[in-house]
Parts: sequence; structure tokens; C-alpha cells
Amino acid sequence: MRCAIVGSGLAALAAYATLRHGGVAPEEIAVFGTHEDPTAVWRTRAAAIRQQRMRSESDGHLAPAAFPGLAVRDALRRGSPAPLARSVVNRYHPRVEDFLDHASALRERSGWDRSLRVRRVERVRAVDGGFAIDGDGPFRHVLLATGHPGLARPDVYPTAVHAYEPHEYAQKVAVVGAGMAAATEWLNALSAGAEVVSIRRREPLRRPLNVPRPYFSKRGLSTYHAASPEQRAATLRELSNASYPAGGDWDEPLRLAEAEGRFRVEPSPNGSQQVIAATGFKRGFRHDALLVDLVDEHDLPTHDRWIELDADSTVAALTDEARTLSIAGVAGQWAFPAADTIAGAKYAARAFRRRVCRTR
Amino acid sequence: MSYTLIGRVESRLVSALPALAVALALQRWWAIELVALMLGIGLALDVLVYDRFIDYQPGWAALPLGALELALVYGAMRWSSVAAPLRWALVLYAVAWLSAQVFAHAVLPRVRLEYAEAGGELGRRGALTAVAVTAVVLGGLGAAYAVRPPTVHLHGTIQGPLVIRHAQTLVGGVVKGGILIRADHVTLRNVTVVGGEDGIDVLDSHHVMLDNVRVVGVSLDGIHVRRSSVMIDDCKITSPNGPWVQGIDISFSMDKDMSMVDGCTIVGVREGIVTHMTMVDVTNNHIGATSLRGITMGEMSMGAIRHNDVLGAHGVGIICLDHSECEIEHNTVVGTRRDPEGDESRAGVAIEAHFFARAEVRHNTVVASPGGIAAFDGSTLTR
Repeated sequence: MRCAIVGSGLAALAAYATLRHGGVAPEEIAVFGTHEDPTAVWRTRAAAIRQQRMRSESDGHLAPAAFPGLAVRDALRRGSPAPLARSVVNRYHPRVEDFLDHASALRERSGWDRSLRVRRVERVRAVDGGFAIDGDGPFRHVLLATGHPGLARPDVYPTAVHAYEPHEYAQKVAVVGAGMAAATEWLNALSAGAEVVSIRRREPLRRPLNVPRPYFSKRGLSTYHAASPEQRAATLRELSNASYPAGGDWDEPLRLAEAEGRFRVEPSPNGSQQVIAATGFKRGFRHDALLVDLVDEHDLPTHDRWIELDADSTVAALTDEARTLSIAGVAGQWAFPAADTIAGAKYAARAFRRRVCRTR
Repeated sequence: MSYTLIGRVESRLVSALPALAVALALQRWWAIELVALMLGIGLALDVLVYDRFIDYQPGWAALPLGALELALVYGAMRWSSVAAPLRWALVLYAVAWLSAQVFAHAVLPRVRLEYAEAGGELGRRGALTAVAVTAVVLGGLGAAYAVRPPTVHLHGTIQGPLVIRHAQTLVGGVVKGGILIRADHVTLRNVTVVGGEDGIDVLDSHHVMLDNVRVVGVSLDGIHVRRSSVMIDDCKITSPNGPWVQGIDISFSMDKDMSMVDGCTIVGVREGIVTHMTMVDVTNNHIGATSLRGITMGEMSMGAIRHNDVLGAHGVGIICLDHSECEIEHNTVVGTRRDPEGDESRAGVAIEAHFFARAEVRHNTVVASPGGIAAFDGSTLTR
């Protein structure tokens, strides 16, 4: 067995499909994870906030090649050029349902189930000939895609329900946060007839994607990679501020509700019957037991809450001509600021594939 | 997409492959030159403008940027005298633009998974392809330069007749006794011909350009064209040596490319411009004091007669004759004299359709021509 992927979520499926596209057989890949369905966790969270459309655009899918994107597939299915026209002006956002259907088809087509070993991994160790995963192995090339380390809950609202947990809406709802999930919850609660109080530390940024577009390509990344660790951490902190896209679809309902007195910004819940924490996820590798163990055991370099990675998402201290340790997903932000997006998952996956295929 | 500079350059060069293939298939130097112009202008914009000012290029930007580049390529084509037919030039540009879109959005992301995140950079194989495209284009340009027709500058007076049997450009000078052209891709520029029977004789030749030529004192035709295609621009034909001299006669070229006579001044000859069985446009000419007709489009010829001045013709000013089809528009015909020996069809008719000819006549100015505008012998005039 040559490769292992630790994790069984979206980033893991993207990496698996990318390896398969590179000609690596299912028998050469072991996927360790807790869920048979790689979309299960994400699907639950998307359903909890009643997300209908992706924030990502046509190429926001898990297949190895960007083309054909979801807009092309949508256009072919509907026999209409409208999705393509919207994609050309960056206004195409795939339906969640289409994204999940595509991911399910990819899972089936790629042979994912033949490589999956359902179990939680506690420990990854560098050993002769590669890496041992809870005693299994050695695997020459390992990609860690452990996902978000848990939901972030504000201490001041211990009874709050998290936005990513199933919930209904009370008559008066306080939503803590100002990012994409919070904005979605404002609209959900308003359309359910609730009165909404928005609690936020700062005004939300408005941008189409999680990070400015140049950070998705070498144009922005080369400057980022050349920066000092302090500058890089500062960039990551700035980019992690809450944001959601601009546009009338978001603003109009809020303006209307504000005029009716059903939406306002306040410093506290002010008598709300329900508090929803749209506060995202815990931040930093220290919340992930497996990563903490790996860092401590091998004394890996870190900076603030990030593990230091090379530009190709590998852990330099544990990567050489014969073996590879890569990190995908949110823990890979040191290499790719938007690592917790689909584009980020594919960035790490493609770099991993290059190394795996090079040392075949 | 957020391109790096290298990404822009490599993507542009590789995306030019289909246009380059079309250019090579056409086997015309202008096509290679046009692809080189497109690439040159595109690369200059990449380096000087796009890379500096466009951090992120959305898909829709391909339209305005494509229009900008089209305008610049067209201007450069005119400025550098690339002899591309406009329609084909547009087709080639459309192929280049469309293939750039298909490559950027489908082919390259499919072939190279990292295409977008690499800012359009194509890796080793892409770079090699880009170098190959550059080499082919430069090689083509070099070949075009190497085999271009030579330019011969004439100084003083040359005793003719001069016979041209190879493609070349002849500039300046005075040739006595006439010039005979028997080769394709010949250009005469600023040449004066004095004497001889035919001043300039073009036989079985194509893509012949007569630019600013003067013909003086000939005894048959000023410019005599048979089974050929010519472009005659800004010529002057005067002082005929005898009563039978015609200004320009283009005949028996119906199966050849269209010819054109534009901006010529012809004075004192028997007939100014005559065509037989030819597709030709006759525009912006000044014809005066002819002893017969000013302009004759005859014997199943087809074409337009526009914006000409015909002064003092004898019998008929402009005639569409013998099954020809003519568009006669915006001409000024003044002082057409009645032929006392002729019938009504020569009674000072300014514009005439004769013997089953069909003429569309619009917006002409007729002065002091007693026969006016008329049709004879089964001809049709449409106004």
C-alpha cells in the first residue's frame, strides 16, 4: 500500500479522486475515516443552515479537473445556456443538491468504497519507509485531511444552539456572528417569521469568495509564500474575518426587515428566546488531537495556531524524495489561505498527486 | 482567473495553435503575418497592460478585451500593409479568439489540473509548446520575408518596352514604350509610362496593383487588362496619341478575382473606362472630354459604378451594356453631348442601360445631358 488519506470528508474525496485520476489504483490507497459517505458531515451542516446554493462557483466541485464545471453540467441537463451566461459574469452558484449529487457520483465512480477503512485514527508517526497510522503501514505518502476540529461556541451564550446543528426558529432569535452562516441564518429566521437580533463584533466584510480571488492562484500566492512567518500569520488572521457575498439577494430582505423593525444589530440578545451561534469552527491545530500529537512527537515547526507547511502543503521536516506528509483542509492554511474551501482541498490534492506519481 | 505574466504569455501562445493551423492550411503569407500580428499585439498588451492592471480577469472580460485587440490588430494590419482579405482576416481572428476561450476554460484546465491555481502557467510541456508556436510563427515570418517580391527602384527614364515575368514591386521612374506584366503579385507604384501601343498591358496575371501610375501618349489603351485581376488606384491617363485610344480596358476576366478602378483621372481619350465580361468596381474616377462614352460596363460584366464624375462625353456618359448588371450610384454626369450620327440611344444620354442589361440607378446627378437616364433594347432600369 503506497498512499494513505486520513479523513473521510470532502477534502479526502477530492484527494482520492485526484489520485485516481493520476492512475493510482484503489488497492494502492487506504482511506481512514469515520464516515462511509464523504459528504455526510458537510451535508448535515448545510442542511442545518438550510443552505440552498454554494458560495463557490462553477468549478466548486470535487472532480480532479475543473472542466466540465457544474455550470456546464447544469446547462446540458437543462438544455439552457443560462447557467453558462451566469458563470461568465461570476453569478453562477451551484445548488447544494447538484453539488452533493456530483460528489456522490464521483464517490461511486472513483472506487472510494474499495479503499475506505472506517475507523478513527489516533496517531500518525514517521517511521522507516514512510508513516505508520495507528500501527498500520508503513505508507510512503500520507495526506491528512482531518477537517474542522469542532464547532466554536461562544462562552457567553452557553445555551446557544450552533448554526451547524439542526434547529428551528423561535419568535425572536439572536444570531451571533457575521459570516456566511450568520447571513444565511438571518434570512432563514426572517423567512420563518422571526424577529432577528444580530450580534457581531465587527461589520461583516462583503466579498464573493472566502478570500480575494488572487489568493486562489499563483499570482497572489507567490507573494504570500514569500512573506515572513509573521506577515503570513497576519494575512491569515485578516483573511479569517467573517465575510459574505455582496448583492441584492442578501441585502434586500435585510433592508425590508429592517424597515419593518424585524432586523436590527444589538450588543446582546435583548430578550431573544433563542440564540444561534453562527460562529464557525474552532481555530488552530491545537484543537485537533491527531495534529497536536504529530506536532509534539516530531517537534514540527508551528507559528501561532498554524503548522508551518511548504508551498505544496507538505510538512517539510517529514517529507523527502522517498516519502510525503501533506495536510489538506483548514489545517493547511499555511500553504493556501483558502485551504478550507473546495479549491483549497484540490490545491493540496494536486500537489500530493504530483509527489505520489513522481515517486511511483 | 488570476493570471501570472508567464501564465498569460504561455496561455496565449498555446491557444494560438488552432489559428496557426488555419493560417498554415491557407498557405498564404498574409495569414502567417496576421497570426504574428495578433500574437505580437496580444503579448505586448499582456506585458504592458493586462498584467499590471488586471489582478483578476472574469470570463466576461474576454468580450471587451477581444474587441480592443481586434481594433488594434486591424489598425496594425492596415498600417503594416498586410494584404489580408478583410473577410478572411476576420475569420482568422474569430478562430483565434474562440480557441483562446475554449483553451482557457476547457482544454487547458482539463489537460493540466493545476492550470487555474498556477495562474495559467503550463509547466514544462506547455512551455515547450509555447516555444514551438513562437518558432513556427517566427519561421513563417522569416520565410515570408525571404520570399517576398523584390522591390526595384527605377531612376530616370528607361527605354521599354519593359516585360515583367516575376513577382516584384516597381517604384518610380519613367518607362518609354510601355510595360507588359505577365506575373502574379506585381505592383507598380509611382511609375510613369510614355508612348507605346498599350501603356500598361496585364495578361493572365493576378493580384496586380497599379498605384499612382501615369500613362501619357499611347496609341491603343492606357491600361489594357486581359484574363487578370487588378487593383488600379489613383492613375492618370492623358494626352492620347491618336483617335482610338481607350483609357482603361479590363476584359475577359469573369472567372478571375474582382478588379477595381478607383480614383483615376482620364482625359481626352475615346472611351474612359471599358469592361467586358469582368467583375469590377469603378469608383471615384474623373473622366473628361472623351470622344465617345465615359464609362462602359459591357458584355455580361457585373459591378458597381459609384461616385464618378463624367464630363463632356459624346453620345452616352455611363452605359451598362449587353446583359451586364450594374449598380450606378452617386455619379455626376455633366454635359453629355448628342451624337448627331446616332439614334435616341446616343442622344446625349447621361446614364443608359442597353441591350438586356440591368441597371440599378440611384442618387446620380445629371446636368446638361439632353437624353437624361434611359433604357433601350430590352434593358431594365431600377431607380
